[in-house]
Amino acid sequence: MMQQPAEADALFDAARRRVKRRERLTPWLMMAPALAIIIVFFGLPTLYMARMSFNLHPDQRLYVPGFTLEHYLSLLTDPLFTGALWTTIKLAFVSSIFTVLIGYAFALLVWLQPAKWRFAFIALALCPLLISEISIIFGWWMFFPKNGLLSYALLSTGVIEDKISLMYTEFAAFVGLIYVTLPFCFFILLSIFDGIDKRMLEASADLGAAPFRTAWEVLLPLTRTGILVAFAQSFIWSMGTYATPSALGPDTLWTVGYMIQEQMLGKHNWPKAAAFSMVLAVGVAIVMMFIRSLMWKRTSFHA
Amino acid sequence: MLEDAQRETIPPVARRRPDALLLRALALAFMVFIVLYIAIPIMITLTMSFNDASMIRFPILHWSLKWYRDFLGSPQWVDALGNSLIIAIGTMTISTVAGVLAAWVFERYKFPGRSALYLAIMMPLFMPGVVLGLGVAIAFGGLNIGGFAVYGSRGLVMLAHSLWAMPLVFMLMEATFRIIDHRIVEASYDLGGRPLRTFFEIVLPSVSTGIISSALFAFVISLNEFVMALFLTDRDTQTLPVLMWLSLRSAGTPRLAVAAVILASAVFASLVLILLWYIRQLRKTSR
Repeated sequence: MMQQPAEADALFDAARRRVKRRERLTPWLMMAPALAIIIVFFGLPTLYMARMSFNLHPDQRLYVPGFTLEHYLSLLTDPLFTGALWTTIKLAFVSSIFTVLIGYAFALLVWLQPAKWRFAFIALALCPLLISEISIIFGWWMFFPKNGLLSYALLSTGVIEDKISLMYTEFAAFVGLIYVTLPFCFFILLSIFDGIDKRMLEASADLGAAPFRTAWEVLLPLTRTGILVAFAQSFIWSMGTYATPSALGPDTLWTVGYMIQEQMLGKHNWPKAAAFSMVLAVGVAIVMMFIRSLMWKRTSFHA
Repeated sequence: MLEDAQRETIPPVARRRPDALLLRALALAFMVFIVLYIAIPIMITLTMSFNDASMIRFPILHWSLKWYRDFLGSPQWVDALGNSLIIAIGTMTISTVAGVLAAWVFERYKFPGRSALYLAIMMPLFMPGVVLGLGVAIAFGGLNIGGFAVYGSRGLVMLAHSLWAMPLVFMLMEATFRIIDHRIVEASYDLGGRPLRTFFEIVLPSVSTGIISSALFAFVISLNEFVMALFLTDRDTQTLPVLMWLSLRSAGTPRLAVAAVILASAVFASLVLILLWYIRQLRKTSR
């Protein structure tokens, strides 16, 4: 007679534990597909690639298992690869500076515009984001060469006497690269501007500051973090974007991304392609950590 | 003395006028520049696709739909378009299911290792396509499962594209879930709704616009991507952007412009779908 309540208690406890266990399992079950994709198609391949980068490549075979640092060292010693590394960094750096300058001015003007224009400009800024990189390349590919639109337009307006070609120049590569990275930068900066109270500008003007001084002393400090994040973001994107500079730029404009494609598809040298890929991945990860630390500082500052 | 006195009587606004005018002119010039910059490659491609000549040169003398007929008459290009659409629909399905579920977990549950997992899910979105493509190609190169060649299959490309599309869906949906009314969810729990049932019957319908938009963005990402696809496809499974990249390397013809226009039309159609759905939802809620 006395045992019955105890038994019921035990049963109830067991049931509660089951529910609890199921509750603890539910989030993991729901996350399973996402985690599976990340682990199987990102985690494992990265580990595999890291291992591959130390393998040997003595002959025509794709790779021979072994251990060597030669592929990493070639990035520092072989002038061809050292050049590619420098080109990548230089290209990413210069194009990110221009991306941020243009993106900043664009975002600032859209922020200051009356609301009716806003939608049109945001739609415009979305265009490069929604168009395939290959179509963008092809568009500029028809603009710059001798028989392209630029040459024709300048010739028919009488600006120039003879056909010109800007194709396969660093300028063309930058134009293409900035086109690809501009929307990211624009949207990051626009979201920063949207968080600023516009009355601050009026206050500054009322206190007698000229527009340039307002920009320098009020806007710039408020958007400094945004500028850094936008710069880092463009830097990541232009480091990895190799198709645009290699298709529009001069033949000597070899980037690490292009080298990876060349080693993988052209030379069938898997270990070297893997080593370069690891270097690129680590570079991106470092810049990403930098962005995260900036964001973290920003949120902790506001809290 | 007189000059000084005069200057003081001029109101500050008037004194700034030339400055403001200059700024306004600069702003206008910049806006013209940016509109031209963004529009040039788009307009040039659209125009060239209606060119009659077989060479890319300006001015365009005759107009025709010749290259559209040529595109649609070429099995290689039509197949590539078909591959692109199949892969994009697959990517959309995989990454929407995985991304939405994961985003809900991050919104609703507390669990150990939260921020590390968040970083792990977002990481591939920031990785260059060439790195992701190479990794998958090396890890799955030559893999056969029961006579089915995984490498070179459309399925592998879908999963590789999901590395970009899934984190994007995850990010967008995390933001969407944050603004839903949690009292409804609590009410469902109180009425005895199990977590999964609540999720499917209460939560999902209330964020349908967010899901449709992020799904179509996943579709667009996959449709446009060509670096991973370049590493992972063979002749039979190559996508339209891959074929465009390969033929640009040999010779550019107006056929490429047609391909670009068709690709952009598919993207544009997705945008119209998002817009239509959004309007439909607005009507529903206002009724």
